[in-house]
Order: sequence, then C-alpha cells, then structure tokens
Amino acid sequence: MAEPKKKTIVVTRFDPDKDEAPRQQSYEIPVEPDWKVLDALNYIKDHVDPTLSHRWSCRMAVCGSCGMNVDGEPKLTCKDALSNHGDTVEVTPLANFPVVRDLVVEIEGFMEKFQKVKPFILRAKELAVDDGPTRQSPAELDDFRQFSMCINCMLCYSACPVISTEPDFLGPAAIALGHRYNLDTRDQGQAERNKVFREDGGIFACSYAGECSEVCPKHVDPSGAIQQAKLGNVIDWLTGLVLRRGDAR
Amino acid sequence: MSHSTPIVDAMKPSRPGATRTAPPRPPDGFPSRGNYRAYIAFGFGGFFLFTVSLLVLRSVWALGNGEAAWNRLQTSFQNPIYVLFHALAFLWLSWFILRLFRLFPATQPKRIGPFQRPPDALMVAGLSGAFVVVTLVVAAILWGAF
Amino acid sequence: MRRVLLVLEPIIWGLFSAGMMVGGLLLPAWAFVMGVAGPLGIAPAAASYDHFYAIASHPLGRLVLLAAMALPLWGGAHHLRHLWLDFGGLKSDGLVGALCYGGALVGSLLAIVAVARL
Repeated sequence: MAEPKKKTIVVTRFDPDKDEAPRQQSYEIPVEPDWKVLDALNYIKDHVDPTLSHRWSCRMAVCGSCGMNVDGEPKLTCKDALSNHGDTVEVTPLANFPVVRDLVVEIEGFMEKFQKVKPFILRAKELAVDDGPTRQSPAELDDFRQFSMCINCMLCYSACPVISTEPDFLGPAAIALGHRYNLDTRDQGQAERNKVFREDGGIFACSYAGECSEVCPKHVDPSGAIQQAKLGNVIDWLTGLVLRRGDAR
Repeated sequence: MSHSTPIVDAMKPSRPGATRTAPPRPPDGFPSRGNYRAYIAFGFGGFFLFTVSLLVLRSVWALGNGEAAWNRLQTSFQNPIYVLFHALAFLWLSWFILRLFRLFPATQPKRIGPFQRPPDALMVAGLSGAFVVVTLVVAAILWGAF
Repeated sequence: MRRVLLVLEPIIWGLFSAGMMVGGLLLPAWAFVMGVAGPLGIAPAAASYDHFYAIASHPLGRLVLLAAMALPLWGGAHHLRHLWLDFGGLKSDGLVGALCYGGALVGSLLAIVAVARL
C-alpha cells in the first residue's frame, strides 16, 4: 500500500482565556487525494488535537457554516479541494470578523445587519385566505431567484474592502437579500427597504470592488444586486420626491 | 502570511458577546493581490477623469480669452511631462471605460416589463464597439477632418 | 458634513454614473489628440485656434464640451473619495467628500461659464 501523502496545515489558534492574540499552529497530517480542506480540519480535531474549534455542518456547500480563509481566500472548506493547495495550507478565520476562538468568528454583527433590510415579504395590505393563492409567473420568479440562493456563508463579507473600513456598511449578502425582496412581486415594502438602503452604511457605501461576487460559492452575484439596487433606489428616491412622500433623507 | 493593522469595528455586534474576541483583520491580500489591484486601478481612473476634464475646461477658457492665450496654452502642452500625462491618461481611461463596459451587464435588471436583458456578451461587444466608434469620430473632429 | 453628503447621495451617484460614461467615452480621444498628437505636431489642426473655435462655438460642440468638462468631474470626485475611504479615511470623510464634490461643483459652474462666454 502506498504511503499516504502528507500536508502541513497551518491553523490560527486563539483561546481568549489563554492567548493574548491569535497565534498559528502547524499540523503535519496524512491526506487522501479526494479530501476537502474540511476533511483535513476534522482529521486534526479527531486524531491530533481535539481542542481545535471550527464550524461545519452539511459538508455539501448548502448550510454556509464552514466559511474560512484558505491561503488568503475566503472559501467554504467543505467545497475547497485540498489538492487545490500546495504542501503547506494556511487556514485562518474569515477576515473582517471578530474572532471568538480559533477558526470560529462572531456572526452576530451580520445577523443585525441582515435584520435591518427586513428580509421577508412586507405587505401594505395583507391578503385574506379567501383571496386565493398569490400568483407569480416563472418570469417573475426568475427576476429574483438568483439572489435568493444566498446561504449566508459570509464569504462575501470576508472579501469586501468596504466592510473593513466602514463598520456600518450593510454588506453584500444583506443588500442582495433585501434586493431579492424588492424584486419579489408579492412584496410591497420597496419604499421602506429603500429607505434603509439610503441610510449611513447603505448601498451607496459600496464602491463596486466586485470581490464579493468572485468568492460567492452559490453564484448569487451580490455585487450585481447592489448595483441594480442603486439604480432602483435613485428612481425610488426621485419618485418619493415627486410624490412628496417625505422619506427622502 | 503577515496581517496588517486590525480594523477593530468591522462586523462588531451592538452588544459584546460572552467572551473576549480577537479583533478582525482586513481582507487578505488587499490592496495588492489579484482583483483588488484592478479595483484600485479602476478607482484611480477617477484621478484622470478629474484632471483631464479640468484640462478641457482650461482649454475652453483659454479659447474664450483669445488667440494669444490659446497659443500660450498649446505651447505649454508641448512640455514632455504634459505629453506623458496625456498619453497615460489616454491609456488608463481607455482601459477604465472598457472595464466598466465589461462589468455593465450585471448592473442592469434581468427584465424590464416584457423586455429581457440582452446576452451579456452582446452588450459588452456593443458598448465596446460604441467606445471605438465614438473615439474615432471625436478624434477625427479634433484632428481636423471636419 | 457626512450627514449632508448622505442626503445628497442619490444625486451624487447619478452624476457619478453619467460622469464615468461621458468621461470614458469622450476623454480618451481628447487626451490623445489634444494632449499627444497635437503637441507633438502630428495633428497640426488640433492646436489651431480657428479650428477649435469653430468646433466649440457650434451649438452641438458647446453641449458636448460642457458634458465633457462637467460630468467627469463628478465621476472623478466620487472615485477619489471612495479610494480615500478604502484606505481608512472614514474619520475625515466629511471633509474629503466636501472637497471632492465641492471641486466638482465649482468646475461644473466654471464649465457653464466657459461655454457661455465663447
């Protein structure tokens, strides 16, 4: 039987009770040719160092839990093949997030931004059950479908240069999801959402770096969503002025 | 891999968590790596947009001041620094607008009423072609063809 | 100041978008002919007062020149302000933004005067 190949995984470690600041720890482990980066991390935890902490769940790129920076690029570690990397692989927590421990980041900041855009159907007038089902054509669904594919993995936040320099910026995923609801024919909350989009840290803080779309594992194209939202927002703002809606701020 | 100064407030929750967190670090490789480089170069196109349009203003203003003022300005434009600046501006702004056109289709909605967005490749080709045509027409006019 | 800029953001963004388009379409040709070919003597008519006066005093010429002078200033101002932010300039954003857009506004007004006085 052939000797299994070895790789060195360099992992960020941080225990707030013991460490002043994050440090790096190297593990040389045997690896299989079909492994993803997550398999290597799980091997370390299962066989070498049970104190390593990292998030993961579905192992098939739908839950969004396992986002980390691998050799400097935000990746879903369950999707990124280990063979994409050299004999030394550096795994660090997602950039732009506070680090709770090792490879685990604080995601509450994202949850708060996310809720600001009201990512649900807003109705001016609720329909009664007797009104029957709300009809939506395939073309109407297609308008927003791509932007609904977000799995909240936050790789986009890790890649975004604006997130690191403007703490109030809503960020790619939150805006893309807000835009998804603005495009949904069942939704009547565009004016309300567009007002949130015009606040400090709103969509106009985006400077179209486009890196969010580059790293998105579900091809949501949040960058495209944000630029579309900008144009829609200017039209909404002008409409608000003309109709004297009183929310142009 | 070295990390630069932490940006302490990035993605900070409104209330502190149960344990002490390490500060966030900026995106790896910013600004020198890969696509970030193109993004910064694109942003710097703004410098050429600003300065070249000011030079157009300067030219039109000199025109209004009379032939002597105009000729003085034209002589000053012969300075090698000015020529190099304009050459660099020409290259940088051409790259700038072609990159903008390449990114343009994604910024448009997929559908407006019954009209679907044209295929991306078609839009990019059309816009880039328009740039070539407009550049040639404007250049011809300024060159003295009309 | 940042609050003021925030309220004006939709207009600024609209002017910036128009500025990028107009600037990117018109200014490369200008830079090449008026900045390189003309001064180097390859395009002698480019440096001619009479020739340029004929172009600039034509109604269409006035309009195009006005667009080429005013709109790209907003495109440039917005890009420069955002570059400043990208390199950590949030604390001075109000001042930098005011300078950038203020400069664009002054330039735009001068551009109107420049074509009007021809």
